[in-house]
Amino acid sequence: MATVKERGYRHWDGRLVERRFPWLPIARTGVRLAFRKKGFKFAFAAAFSPATVFLGLLYISERIEDFKALVRTNQNLLNVSPNYFKTFLTSGPFLFLLVLVLVFASAGLIAEDLKHSSLQLYFARPLKKRDYLIGKLAVIAFFVLIITALPWVLLVVFKLIFAGNFKFIAAYPWLPLSILGYAVLLTVFLGFYLLLMSASGRSTRYVTVLIFFVYYFSAVLALWIKGIFKTPYAFLVSIPANLQQAGAVLFGQKPPQPFSPVWSFLVLAGICVLSGIVLTLKVRSVEVIK
Amino acid sequence: MTAVIAATHLSKWYGHVLGLNDVSLEIEEGITGLLGPNGAGKSTFMKLATGQLKPNIGTVTVHGRRTWNTPGIFRTIGFCPEPDAFYDDMTGFEFLTGLLRFYGFSAKERRERAARALDVVDLTGDKDRLIRGYSRGMRQRVKFAQTIAHDPEVLILDEPLSGLDPLGKRKLIKVIRDFRSQGRTVLVSSHVLPEIEALTSRIVLIHQGQILAQGDISMVRELIEAHPHQISVRSSDPRGLAARFVADPAVLKMTFDPDGRTFVVETRDRDELFGHLAEAALAAGIEIEEITSPDDNLQSVFEYLVGK
Amino acid sequence: MTRIGATREVFSFFAVLGRRSGRTRTFMALGLIPVVVAVLARIFLRGRSGELAAVSTEILMVFFLQIYIVILSLFYGTSITAEEVENRTLTYLGTRPVPKPAIVIGKYGAYAVLLFVMVAIGLGGSYFILNAARLGDPALYGAFFRYLGVLGLGILAYMAFFAFLGTILKRAIIVGLIFGFGWENIIQYFPGSTQKFSIVHYLKSLLPYQPGAGGGRGVALLLFRLEPTPPLGAGLMLAAIAGVFLALACWIFRTREYLYED
Repeated sequence: MATVKERGYRHWDGRLVERRFPWLPIARTGVRLAFRKKGFKFAFAAAFSPATVFLGLLYISERIEDFKALVRTNQNLLNVSPNYFKTFLTSGPFLFLLVLVLVFASAGLIAEDLKHSSLQLYFARPLKKRDYLIGKLAVIAFFVLIITALPWVLLVVFKLIFAGNFKFIAAYPWLPLSILGYAVLLTVFLGFYLLLMSASGRSTRYVTVLIFFVYYFSAVLALWIKGIFKTPYAFLVSIPANLQQAGAVLFGQKPPQPFSPVWSFLVLAGICVLSGIVLTLKVRSVEVIK
Repeated sequence: MTAVIAATHLSKWYGHVLGLNDVSLEIEEGITGLLGPNGAGKSTFMKLATGQLKPNIGTVTVHGRRTWNTPGIFRTIGFCPEPDAFYDDMTGFEFLTGLLRFYGFSAKERRERAARALDVVDLTGDKDRLIRGYSRGMRQRVKFAQTIAHDPEVLILDEPLSGLDPLGKRKLIKVIRDFRSQGRTVLVSSHVLPEIEALTSRIVLIHQGQILAQGDISMVRELIEAHPHQISVRSSDPRGLAARFVADPAVLKMTFDPDGRTFVVETRDRDELFGHLAEAALAAGIEIEEITSPDDNLQSVFEYLVGK
Repeated sequence: MTRIGATREVFSFFAVLGRRSGRTRTFMALGLIPVVVAVLARIFLRGRSGELAAVSTEILMVFFLQIYIVILSLFYGTSITAEEVENRTLTYLGTRPVPKPAIVIGKYGAYAVLLFVMVAIGLGGSYFILNAARLGDPALYGAFFRYLGVLGLGILAYMAFFAFLGTILKRAIIVGLIFGFGWENIIQYFPGSTQKFSIVHYLKSLLPYQPGAGGGRGVALLLFRLEPTPPLGAGLMLAAIAGVFLALACWIFRTREYLYED
C-alpha cells in the first residue's frame, strides 16, 4: 500500500473552531507588530519615565523628613563640578550597571568559542592570537566608551549649553580629558578582567556569575581584612575600591582611601598582566582533553 | 494492522515558520524510514512524537496515548536524539545506569541492563571512561545504548547513524533490523538515502513540513506517473535490438551509453515494454545480458518527488 | 514509580552530577577563602581575639548572606532549567517516565543540599577558627546554628525564586543579577514597609541580634535601616516564597516547550 500526494497547495479539510474572543488574535498581533518597529521599544520605555519620576516623588512625599535630612547634609548635591562627575562615574551603582551591560554583551566572547571549539576555526585562518584577543577587547572597548566617554563628554557640552556661557570649561578645561582618561582606564581594565573570566569556563551563565562574584567578593574581602588588620591597604584587594581610587586621581580629586593611588594603578595593572598570561595559555588552536 | 504511532492533522509552528503542515500519518510495527532533506520536518515530527513539543493543531499518539505531558508513556518508548549532547562528567556506564534510575529498576538490574546495552554497541571496554573523552562515533553509540537499555517496544531514532564509521553503521543497521524481528516498532529518520534503503523498504517522505509520499519504495515509484520509468538493457547488439522496437508506442525515449553495450529506454508502461523487448530479442536472435531499472530506488523517488 | 520515587531518583542523579562538576569545586574553593583569612587572622592577631571575633563574624555574615548564597542560588537555581536547555540534555530527562515537576523539585533539592554543604563548610570553618577562644561556650554553637539556619532558608528562598526565573526567561542570569545585586541591595535599605519586598529583609530579621542592641561595625553594616519583621513571620514568609516560586516553576516547566538554540 502506498500513497503519493500532489505537491503544492492542499486544501485543509479540518474544522474551523470559533474562538470565545475572536478579537484577541487581532489585538495580540497588532501589539506584537508595534514592538517590531524600530525605535518603538525605546519610545515605549521612555513613555514610562514621567511615571517613574512621579513614583519617586510619591515616595519622597511619604518620607519627606528622611529626604529633608539628606538635602540638609548634602548641600553640594546640585553643585556641578569635576567632583560631581567623579562621584557619579566612580559610584557603585554606575559601575554595577556598566559591568551588567558588559556582561550581557561580552561574557560569552571567549566562553562560547571554547564551548563550540571555534578556536580551531579562527586559527585555521591567517589570524594571530594577538589579533583574536584585540578583536575581543575591541568589543568591550566599544561598549565601555559608548557608556562612559560619549554620554559624559556630551553632559559637559549640555552643561555649557544650559549655562549659556563657557565659564565651566574655562574653570575646568581638563575635565573632558579626565572623562576620556577614566573611560580608557575602565576599558583596559574591564576588558582584561572580563576576558579573563570569559576564558575561565565554557558556559556564559557560569562566567556571568563568576564576574560578579569576584567583583563583589573582592569588596567584602577588603572590608573584612580592614576589620581584622585595621589597615587601609586592605582596600587594595577590592576591585571597585581600586577603580574609585584611580578614578579620583584622574579627576584631580582627593582619593577616597588614605594610601597612594599608585598602588591601585599597580593592582589594576597586575590583574591585566595576569589576564594576559592566562589568555595566552588558554587561547590556542589545539585543545588537550585530559 | 493497528497504528503504533498515529498523527492526525498535525501542525507545528515555530513563530511564523511552519515546521509541520497538516501531517496525518500512521506508523505500524516494523521499521519505517522517515526521509527528507535538512529542514524538512523530520526532527519536528520526532519531537512531537516523543512529547518534547506540543502540537499547535492536531494530535500525535503512541499506542493510542497522547505524548505531550504523559510521562508514563516513556516506559515503552526509546528515543535517540540527534544533537551530540551528554552529561560529560559521567562515564558511559554511569550515564546509562543514571538514566535507568527513572524507570524504577533496582540497582542490580540497572547495572545489568546498562552492561547489556553497552555490549550491543561494543562499548564494554570503554564503559568507565568519561563521555567527554569519547570519540564522535563512541558518543553516538552510547546515545543509542541509552535508547535501548530499558527494552522499549517503540524506538524513535533521529539520525542514529550519523558520526559512525562504515563498520559501525553496518553493525548498528544489523541491530536495528533485529528489532523488527522481535516485533518492535522502529521509526528512523535520515537524510542519507542508502542508510534508509539498508534498513527498510517502507518509507515516509517528508519535505517542507508536508508528507509527499509513504509506503513501499517500489510501490511509491509506481505511483509517480509524471516520471516515466527507465529500463537499462545490456546486450551484444544494443543498436540492433533497439532498432527492433524504437517505433513501439510504449517507448518514450532511448539513449545509448558510451560503453557501446547498453541503452536506456524510458516508458510509462514497463510491463508492455518488457513484453515487446522479449519479442524483439527473440526475433532478432540477440542475447540480452542484463535488464535493470536505474530509477527504481529511493534516490530517484526522492528526486522526482522533491522536484530536483 | 510514584511521584515521590521519581523525585528521589532525580535528586540522586543530580546530587552525583552536581558534586562532580568543576564549577562546584570552584565555588567551594571561593567559599573557603574566608577560612584562609580566618586562619591568617588568628596567626597574626593573637591577643585580640574578642574584638576580632565580633567584627569578623558580622562581616562574614555580610559575605555569606549578601553575596555567597545569592550568587550560588542564582547559578544553581537558574541551572535547573537553563543548564539542560543550554547543554541540550533536557531531551534525556523529558523522554523518561518522570513527571516534569519531579525533575524541577528533585534537581532543586539536590542543588539546595549541595549549596547548604558548601555554605556550612565555609561558614563553619571560618566561624569556629575566628571564635576558637570560645569553643567551650554553648552560646557560640547556638549562634552558629542560627546563622546556618538563616543561610539555609536563604538558599531555599533564593533558589526557588531563581528557579522560577530560569523557567520563564532566556536570560534569567541577568535578571537575577539585577534582582540580587540591584533590587535586594537597594530596597532593603528603604525605610518603612518597602523593605519587606526583599528576601534579605526576612533573612536579616532572623539574625541573632537586633538594631540598637550594640555590636561592632559589621553589625551596623548588616542591620543598617533594618526594621525587622518578627522571626515567626519572617520564617513563614521565607517558606512561602520558596513554596510559591517552586510551585510556579514546576507549573511553567510542565506547560512550556523548550527549544534548543541552533
